[in-house]
Amino acid sequence: MTPPETAAEPRPTRLQAQNVHVSFGGIRALTGIDLTIRRGEVLGLIGPNGAGKTTLVNVLTGFQAPTEGRVMLEDQTLTGMKARDVARAGVARSFQAARLFRDLTVQENLVVAALGAGLPRRAAEARAHEILDWIGCAPIAHLTCDGLSYGDERRISIARALAMGPSFALLDEPASGMNETECAALMQVISELPAQFDCGVLLIEHNMTVIMGVCQRIHVLDGGRSLAEGTPDEVQANPAVRRAYLGEKADQVALTI
Amino acid sequence: MHAGKGIAILERVWPVLVLVVPLMAVVVLADLYGSVMFQRTVTDALIKIVLVVGLYIFIGNSGIVSFGHIGFAGIAAYFATWMTCCAMMKPITMTGLPDFLRLETYSLWSTALVSVAIAGVAALVIGLVLMRLSGLAASISTLAALFIFHAVYANWDSVTMGRASIVGVPTYVTVWVALGGAVLAIAVAWLYQISSYGLATRAARDDEVAAQASGISLYWNRLIAFVLSGMVVGLGGVLMVHFQGTISVNAFYLNLTFITLAMLVVGGMRSLAGAVVGVVVLTSVADVFRRLEAGVDLGAMRLSTPVGTQEMFLAALMLLILVFRKDGLMGRRELRLPRFPGTGQGREAP
Repeated sequence: MTPPETAAEPRPTRLQAQNVHVSFGGIRALTGIDLTIRRGEVLGLIGPNGAGKTTLVNVLTGFQAPTEGRVMLEDQTLTGMKARDVARAGVARSFQAARLFRDLTVQENLVVAALGAGLPRRAAEARAHEILDWIGCAPIAHLTCDGLSYGDERRISIARALAMGPSFALLDEPASGMNETECAALMQVISELPAQFDCGVLLIEHNMTVIMGVCQRIHVLDGGRSLAEGTPDEVQANPAVRRAYLGEKADQVALTI
Repeated sequence: MHAGKGIAILERVWPVLVLVVPLMAVVVLADLYGSVMFQRTVTDALIKIVLVVGLYIFIGNSGIVSFGHIGFAGIAAYFATWMTCCAMMKPITMTGLPDFLRLETYSLWSTALVSVAIAGVAALVIGLVLMRLSGLAASISTLAALFIFHAVYANWDSVTMGRASIVGVPTYVTVWVALGGAVLAIAVAWLYQISSYGLATRAARDDEVAAQASGISLYWNRLIAFVLSGMVVGLGGVLMVHFQGTISVNAFYLNLTFITLAMLVVGGMRSLAGAVVGVVVLTSVADVFRRLEAGVDLGAMRLSTPVGTQEMFLAALMLLILVFRKDGLMGRRELRLPRFPGTGQGREAP
């Protein structure tokens, strides 16, 4: 598949959160987070429920203004930009709930995102078609989204983010609720994303098999703070991480991978 | 390959054809065999189709209910009146008009074009403000816009003659002209709906957050829908005034707002076919009851239902539809060509 045809300007190589704080009233959701996603890699973001993972994605995509700190796309400051403009700058995301446009067809869902990224209609249709083909959803392209199976919904929500031709794709729990076969297929897709789309991926996921299987690096959040960052092996070996998060599931097979 | 392309084109125009062809058939029959009364009913229904399809362009695609659009019909209708009405009386009764309106009379074509454009400008000005709002806030503020229109036109005596009727507007709207208007409205609505702008607006209707994450501007896309919709509703207003030959400010107020909205709701707010079906169904039901109220001769007996049955039945019908089919008669679907096997796009999931 061709990488998005914006060869005119060089694609940004990093998306960074710098010293990001977020508080809701008195509650501190994020405290001093520094995080860098590099183009070409899959960075895992893990942590117990309520650790602030989704809040961080909301900050990175302009849906949540940080109380302090900033978000940088290469040298461009994204802080203060509207979510829509962040998306157009090349930072796409998927949602925990798939949030598909339910009365539109699968194909149209992707076309909307490609149009949103600034493509003309014909090119948008072509890109949507190409991505659906690649992700194996071409046969359902003309179904409306309100009747899709759960697994298809999840896949289409990823495909829609990709249809923007993003420099960075932030995927919020794409595997939640998937069965083992679907997970395996999803892992295949995610691990191929950086090469196929010339992008960086931030992957939030509770499924450790998926995280350990596809991420080059993993960032661990706990209680709104960064707990650790490193390769899957380093993170698994980190005693603080084991205590705070993985320890709860120490018997999980995933850890032996 | 050629057959495939033919089918693809047919698939694209089918939802329009399937609405327009039956309307044409009705008009031909009305023209050949219908009484004057029946022709007037059909003409009125076709004008309602223009209004309701105009409403649908905004409401159906954006998902925001507007109570204000009939104001745009009124603005266009009054402008058409000023441009064409009563050359003798106008200088005396409407002294507030600027000279180019007070002293001149214009051709019907240019009047229609200019009046629709004026409705579009009005929709643009109001939309620039209101489209910043979402959901219920936007709906309520459109109602406020209707109140403003009514208050201004009802009291602007020097140009609108206040609440009085202005008579002597030329009447050229036959059943065929009304059909032309309805076909135009349906075609415009369909082209908009499948355009990139329509697609983006419908996406924002289904999920505002995901639309923003997809780089879609809610504001600009809704504004485009609002202006286009205001213009089509304006066309409906122009046809109305040139059909009735008279105009008064109360003709473009709550009654017309609610009957057109009722038609849209009954047919299905989220479907172009629904907009048309809603008008046809409600007009037919109303017509049947009007005849019953007038009395039916059965041999020696003359039966008539009590006055008010029509309204009661219509209200009951609306309730039933809202309870049992809340998306209207058409649901959220268009009348699409069934997909043929072999076009490579099956309906079933794998």
